[in-house]
Amino acid sequence: MTAVSLTINGRTVNAEVEPRTHLADFIRDTQNLTGTHLGCEHGVCGACTVLVDGVPVRSCITFAVTCSGASVTTIEGLDNDDVGAELRAAFSREHALQCGYCTPGMLMSGRDLVLRAQTPDEHGIRVAMSGNLCRCTGYVGIVRAIQSVIAGRRSRGIGPLPGAGRTALGPAGSGHGQSVGTGDVARRAVSVGAGEAAAAVSVQPEQLADWTPQASFDQSFVLHHAIADVWNFFGDTAAVAMCLPGASLSGDTGARHVAGKMRIKVGPIAAEFHGSAEIDRDPATYSGKIDGSGRDQRNNTATRGAIRYRLLAVSENTTKVELNVGYRLTGPLAQFSRSDLVHDIASRLIAVFAQNVEARLGGSEQAAAPAAELNASALFFSVLADLIKARFRRLCRMATGRSGD
Amino acid sequence: MKPVRFDYARPADLAAAIALGRRDDVVVKVIAGGQSLGPMLNLRLIQPDLLVDITAIAELKRVEEAADSITIGSCVTHADIEDGHVPDVTCGALRAVASGIAYRAVRNRGTIGGSLVHADPSADWISALTALGASVIIHGAQQERRVPIEGFMAGVFETDLASGELVSGIQIPRLSSAARWGYYKTCRKTGEFAHAIGVYLEDPERSVCRAVIGATGGKPIVFADANALVGAGRSPGALDVKLARDGMTAHGLTDPIDQQIHLAALRRAIARANGS
Repeated sequence: MTAVSLTINGRTVNAEVEPRTHLADFIRDTQNLTGTHLGCEHGVCGACTVLVDGVPVRSCITFAVTCSGASVTTIEGLDNDDVGAELRAAFSREHALQCGYCTPGMLMSGRDLVLRAQTPDEHGIRVAMSGNLCRCTGYVGIVRAIQSVIAGRRSRGIGPLPGAGRTALGPAGSGHGQSVGTGDVARRAVSVGAGEAAAAVSVQPEQLADWTPQASFDQSFVLHHAIADVWNFFGDTAAVAMCLPGASLSGDTGARHVAGKMRIKVGPIAAEFHGSAEIDRDPATYSGKIDGSGRDQRNNTATRGAIRYRLLAVSENTTKVELNVGYRLTGPLAQFSRSDLVHDIASRLIAVFAQNVEARLGGSEQAAAPAAELNASALFFSVLADLIKARFRRLCRMATGRSGD
Repeated sequence: MKPVRFDYARPADLAAAIALGRRDDVVVKVIAGGQSLGPMLNLRLIQPDLLVDITAIAELKRVEEAADSITIGSCVTHADIEDGHVPDVTCGALRAVASGIAYRAVRNRGTIGGSLVHADPSADWISALTALGASVIIHGAQQERRVPIEGFMAGVFETDLASGELVSGIQIPRLSSAARWGYYKTCRKTGEFAHAIGVYLEDPERSVCRAVIGATGGKPIVFADANALVGAGRSPGALDVKLARDGMTAHGLTDPIDQQIHLAALRRAIARANGS
C-alpha cells in the first residue's frame, strides 16, 4: 500500500491505496462518487473522464498513486460550475442523452472543449469529442448541445482559454507528490502449477477440424541444403523445436504429435503459451501441416494456428521453404493486438528460425543449445555478431592465403 | 480488468530512477503518462513487479532552446506541445502533430518520450520525429548518449534502450524559415491507431529533403534523400511510385493494398507541404 493525498471536488482525501488501483476505482469505491462511469477500462470509450488539475484525463488508465497532491474534479464536483450548468441545460434541451452511461464523460470532455474552442464549428467539435463513445449513438444531440454552449459564451464575449488554463508542463496530476521510494520488492512467484497441467492436455484432432483463421500470411526462406536433407530435418520434431526461439517440448511428443511451450517476449510483453499440435507430412509433395493450439497462463490469451509448409528444390543444394501461417487469437492479447504487429513479430520469429535451421543443418555447434525466446535486441546483436564473425573469418583466410574457399 | 499487483516508486531525480531501473532481481517498468502502458497493464499483457514513475523528475519536463535546435524533456506532454508551451522551431510541425494524437484527455497525460520508448509503429511521434531528424538523449548509470532516431526503434515495442537506461529528452533541429513540411495519417476512426502515416520535409537551406512512411507494422521507412522520390516537379502527382513501392517491399510491407494506402498518405503529406 502507498499513501496518497489528493483533493477531490475541493475536499482533501488521505488514503492508503494499492499502487494498481486506478483513479476511477479509487473515487468510486473509496469515495462513493459513483457518477464517474467505467466502460471499456482500457482508455478507449471516455466514460471515465474526470478533471485532474483542471483538465480532462481518463481515470481508468491513470493510477491513483500517480495523482498525489493533484486536484481531481468528478461529475459531482460540477454542480456549481458555470459551464457545467450551461451544458446540463443544453443536454436536456437537445436530448443529448438516452441511457446516460456516457454522459458524465461527455460533460467532462464537453466542458474542456467549451473552455478551449475558438469557434463552435461542428467538424471541430466532432473531432474533439471523438474520444467519447455513445453506444446509443446520440451524437447529433450531443454535438448540438456543445455547439450551442460555445456559441452562447463566445457571443457573450467570453473568449477561449488556451489549455483550459493549465500552464504547468508534464502529465496532468504529476509534479505535486513527494518522492516515494521502495523497500524490498519481493519477486512475485508466478504460479506455474496450472501451466504445467495445461501443457499435458493434448488437443484432440477433431477439435481442430472446424476453425477458420482470423488472419494469415505467407512467408518463405531459403536454406543452402539439399531438399532431402531439409525434408528429413523437418521430420525430426525435437530438432525443429530447438530452432524455434523460445520453444521447449514436454514428454508427450512423437512424430505426429508435439506438446510443449513457447515463450515470446516483445518489448515489455512476455507470454508463455502452453499447448500441443498435430503434425501431418506428405513425402510425395514435400509438404506438411502443423495444426496446434495453446494458452498463455498469465493473461489467458488463447491461440490456434496452422502452419502449412512446402519445400521446393531451387538447385541441388538450395531449398526454398514456403510457409503459410494462419492463426486466431482470443483473449487480452487479441483485444489489444493489431494483426500488423502479429505479422511483424512472426516474421522476426521465422527469420531467427531460418537462421537456426541453416546453422544446424550445417552442423554448427552454436545451434546445439535450444534457442532462447525471441527478443528483438538479441536478434539484432546475433545478426551483428554473425557479420563480425564472417568478416573475421575472411580476414583470417586472407592472412593465411586460403582465399580460394 | 485490473493489473497484477505491483510496487510503486516515484523517484525525485534521474540518478534514483536509473538505479531502480537497473535492478535485475525484479521486473521493472518505467511509466511516464501511462496512456499506452495503462491499457496494457489493465489487460495484464505487462506484469511488472515494480513501476517506476518518472513524472516527478523536474529535469524531464524542461525545454531548452538553442540556436540550431530545441531539446524537449521526455515527460513533456502532447498537450503541452499542442498548447504552444514549447517554442516552435519546426514551422508549426510539432504543434500540428501533437494536436492530432489520440484525444485531448490522452494528450493531457501522454508524453513525447513515453511514446518513443513504447515504440508502437502506429504512433505519431516516431514517424514525425524521424522526418524532422531528431535525436534521442539517453541517460544510463555511466554516461549520456545520443542516438539518431532512425537507430532508436528496433521493431514493434522494441528500442535500443539497455537495462537501466532512460530517455531524458529529444533534440529536434531548428528548421529554416523556408522549410515546408506535410503530415498525413489515415485512421479507421478519428484518434485511433494510424493505419498509414506519410511525412514529408523539405528544407533546402539545410539541404534536407526527407520522406517517411510510417505505421508500417515495424520501423518507419525512411527516404533520407527524397529528391528522386518527389522528382523535379515537387508535386504529389510526380511521386515516383515504383521507388516508393520498392522501398516498402524491401522493408517487408508487401501487401499491394497496404502499399496503396501508404502511398496515398505520403502523397497527401507532400500535397500539404506544397500548401494544398
